[in-house]
Amino acid sequence: MSGTALWRLACEVEELVAPGTQPAVLAALLAWAVRPRRTLEGLRRALAARGGPDGSPAEALLAQVQEHVDDQDAAAASRLLPRWRARGCRVSVVGDPGYPARLAEDWPSTDGPVLLATSGARPPTAPTVAVVGARSASSYGTGIAAWLAEAASAAGVHVVSGGAVGIDAAAHRAALEGPGGTSVVLGCGHDVGYPRGHARAGGLFERILAGGGGLLSEQLPAVPPKAGIVRARNRIVAGLADLVVVVEGGPRSGALLTAGAAAERGRPVLAVPGDIRLAGSAAPNRLLAEGAGACTEPADLLAALASDRVAVAATVPQTPARTTGAMTVLPREVHRELAAAWPRAVTGDGLIDRSGLPAGTVLAALTRAQVAGEVVGRADGFVLRRAPEPGGR
Amino acid sequence: MRGIALVGLRPLEVRVEATCSPGLPVLKLVGLPDAAVREAGERVRTAIQRHGLRWPGERVVVNLAPADLPKVGSSFDLPLAIAVLAATGQVPMAAASRTWACGELGLDGSVRAVTGQLPLVAGARQLGARELLVPAAAAAEAALVTGLHLVPVTDLTDVVAALEGRRPAAALQPLLPPLRPCTDPPAPDLADVRGQPLARRAVELAAAGGHHLLLTGPPGCGKTMLAERLHGLLPDLTTDEAIEVAAIHSLAGERRPDDPLRVRPPLRAPHQVVSAAALVGGGAGVPRPGEVSLAHRGVLVLDELLEIPRAVLDALRQPLERGEVVLSRARARVSYPGAVLLVGAANPCPCGHLGDPRRACSCRPDRIERYRARLSGPLLDRLDLQVALQPLARTALLDGTPGETSSVVGARVAAARTAAAQRWGAVRLNRDVDAVLLRRTTARPALARLAAALSGLGASARAFDRMLRVARTIADLEGREVVDVGHVEEAVAYRLPPVPVPA
Ligand SMILES: [Zn+2]
Repeated sequence: MSGTALWRLACEVEELVAPGTQPAVLAALLAWAVRPRRTLEGLRRALAARGGPDGSPAEALLAQVQEHVDDQDAAAASRLLPRWRARGCRVSVVGDPGYPARLAEDWPSTDGPVLLATSGARPPTAPTVAVVGARSASSYGTGIAAWLAEAASAAGVHVVSGGAVGIDAAAHRAALEGPGGTSVVLGCGHDVGYPRGHARAGGLFERILAGGGGLLSEQLPAVPPKAGIVRARNRIVAGLADLVVVVEGGPRSGALLTAGAAAERGRPVLAVPGDIRLAGSAAPNRLLAEGAGACTEPADLLAALASDRVAVAATVPQTPARTTGAMTVLPREVHRELAAAWPRAVTGDGLIDRSGLPAGTVLAALTRAQVAGEVVGRADGFVLRRAPEPGGR
Repeated sequence: MRGIALVGLRPLEVRVEATCSPGLPVLKLVGLPDAAVREAGERVRTAIQRHGLRWPGERVVVNLAPADLPKVGSSFDLPLAIAVLAATGQVPMAAASRTWACGELGLDGSVRAVTGQLPLVAGARQLGARELLVPAAAAAEAALVTGLHLVPVTDLTDVVAALEGRRPAAALQPLLPPLRPCTDPPAPDLADVRGQPLARRAVELAAAGGHHLLLTGPPGCGKTMLAERLHGLLPDLTTDEAIEVAAIHSLAGERRPDDPLRVRPPLRAPHQVVSAAALVGGGAGVPRPGEVSLAHRGVLVLDELLEIPRAVLDALRQPLERGEVVLSRARARVSYPGAVLLVGAANPCPCGHLGDPRRACSCRPDRIERYRARLSGPLLDRLDLQVALQPLARTALLDGTPGETSSVVGARVAAARTAAAQRWGAVRLNRDVDAVLLRRTTARPALARLAAALSGLGASARAFDRMLRVARTIADLEGREVVDVGHVEEAVAYRLPPVPVPA
C-alpha cells in the first residue's frame, strides 16, 4: 500500500467532505468501495458482527479498510470525484456531525449507510415524516399524499420520501414550499438522473433544491437504479424519519420495506386505509391489520409525531381538499365530468359547457391540474392521469 | 413653389424653381426625376399652351430640390406649372413662392387627383404648409386633414385666380363638406357562434389585448367565422387613425379619393400568400405597402398558416415585433406602419382530422410530429393564444344556446382597452407593453406560479413575458389592477402543448 496515492486522494476529497468528516477516512473508504465485490454495507455488517466499533465509527471503518487499498483503487476513486463535484455534493461518514443523527442511532446494529452524499440542504433536525407509497398510484393516493405532506410541511414537519413517481412525487411536491421542506433519498448515484422526468432541468428535483430541500444517496456516482439498490434506499427513508406513513402500495410494495425498517428502529408507522377492491390498497390495509395506526387526516400524522417524541406546531391547516371531500385541484364540476368520461378525454369546450363554469375558471384549473400531474392535455381533449376512485363523486 | 415627396408615409418638402434664359426653347428638368416626372415636362408644356397661357420661347430650366430625394409620380405637375408661370410673370412670384401644391395636369389644363392624394395632403400639413392647392376632385377627401387651408382647383384658370388672390382659400373651405365617416355593413355577430366557449373566450382576449391568435382545427370548424367576429369586436378607429389607414390604402392604390373614410379597422384575409413582397410590401423602385400595412390597426387573417413557406412567414417577424415594416432598397429605405392583430388558422395535422371525433386521422405519427414542429418557430411563438377547435356537431349549430352578443362582449373589450391605455399611456395595448412594467403589476405568487408551470411543462422560457401579457388582459377584463395566480394559469392554458394521444 502506497501512502502517497491515498494521501493525494485525500487532498482531492477535501473539498467534497461535509463538516466534521476526515478527508483521509473518506478517501480510504472510497478507494475500498470502488473495487468489485466490496460493499460498504459489508463493512457495516462486519462491524456489527464484532459487536460494534472500538472508538468512533470513522476510526473503526478506517482500521478495517486501510490495509486493503492500493494505488489503483485510489486512482479509480479519484475518477469518481468530478461526478459528485458537478452535482454540488457533500459527503459525510456515519457518526460525523454532517451525518443525520437519526440515521446513525445504534449504528452499526441498525443499517444506516456508511457514506451519505448530499446535494442541497442536509435533512434538518426538525421532526420528520416519511410519506411513501407506490409508483403506480391512483389519483386518490396522490391526492391524499399531497394533502398529508402539505399539512405536515405547513406545521414545520420535514417530509422525506424516495423521489419516485406517484405517491413519493406527490408528497415532495406538496411539501416543498412549506416551512417543513422536503428531502429525497435517491435509489441510484447522484449523477444518474433517475427518474428522468424528475431529474431533468426544471423538474421536481431542481425545484426541491431551489426550495431549500436536499437530495441524498448512499451510492457512489454512476451507480444505476437496480432493483436491489432502489429497495435498499427505503431503509434510509425510514431511518431519517420519526414516523412513516404508507399511503398506497401493492402486496409487494417497497413501502412495506420502509414500514418494516421503521418498525425495526421502533418508530411508529401509520397507514392510510384504502379501497379493499384495489390492488394498490394491499400494503396499507395489511399494515393496518398488523397493527399500524390509521391515518385519515393530517391531525393523525401530527398527533403520532407528538406522542412519539417531538413537539409539533399545534396548528393544523384546514385544506380545501378536505372540505370539498376529494383530493383534486379541480373544481368539483370539472372533476365530475372528467371522472365520468374516464378513460376517454373531454374537450375543453365540453368541460366548460357541462360544468357551467366560466371558460377562464375552467382553463385556469386545467393548467393547475396539468402542473400537478392530475390531468393530461391531449390533442383530443383532457383526461385524468389515473383512474378516478370507484364510487367517488 | 413647394411640392411633397413621400418616402413610405414620411413626407419631405420638394422645392420647385424655374428660370428662363435665352436659348433654344427646350425644357430641362434637374434633380434626379424619375420617368413619370420627366414626362411631366411635356404634360405641363401642352397643358399651359392649350389652356391659353404662354409658354416662354426661351430655354427653361426647372430644378427640383433636394436633388438626392427620389421623386415619384405625377403630383409634381402642378408645382412645376406654377413655377413656369411665375418665372414668366403670369402669376405673382411672391404668392407662387410660398404656395404648396400637388396634383396631376391633363393635357387640356385640367387638374386631376393622383394616387396617394390623402398622404400627400396629410404630409403637407406635417411639413408646416398653411395653404395647399389640391385637385378639386380630391378636395373632399383632403378636407379630412384639418389644420391647413385647402384651395381646390379644377384647372389652370383656377390656379391663376387663386395665386392672384381672387379666390381666397378660407372662403372656399365651408363649401366643402368633409367626407362623412362611414361604417361598414354591420359585422357578423358573436352570438352566431354556438358552442365553442373556448374559442369565444380567446377571441375576446385577442380583441381586448391585441394578442395574436392561432386557431387550429379540422376544415369546417368555423375558423373564418371566428376571425370575422374578432374583427367585429375591435373598437372604431379615431379620426386620426382612420386617416392614417386611409393614407396607406391610398398609397397602395386601394382607395379612390371619393371613397368614404372607414372608421372600422381594416380586415385583410389574403388568399394564398405566396410572396414576402405581397405580405409585407415591396416591388421594383419605391416599395409599395403590403398586406401587413393594409391591415394596420386591424386584423390580418392568414389561413393555412403552416402551408405558407417559412421564408415568407419569417418576413412577418419584424412587423409583429415593431409594428412597422422597414423595406430597404438601393434608392430608399422606406417604412410603413404595420401594427396588426394576426389571426392564423391551421389544420391540426396534414390531413386535418387529428382530434376529430367524426373522422379518423390518416397521418403517420412522424408526419404529425414534423407538422407540429412548424408550430414552434420564432414567429409562431408570438401567437399567444392558441386554441384547438372541435368540429361543430350539427345539433350544436342549430340548437346550441346562443352565446353573448358582440355588443355585450365588445363593451367588456372596450373597458379593458381603456384600462390598459390609461395604465400604459402611449403603448395602449397589453400586447406591446414592456416586460418590466408588466411584472410590476403582477402579484409575486403569480410570477412564481408561472415560472413553475413553465418549467414543469417544458414550455419555452421566452414565452414567460408573452403569457404574462395575456394574463394582464385577463385581469383587465375582470377590472382587476393586479394580475393574480388564476389569471396566469388561464394564460398558460393557451400555450400548453398537447401531448400525443396514445394509440
Ligand atoms: Zn391527420
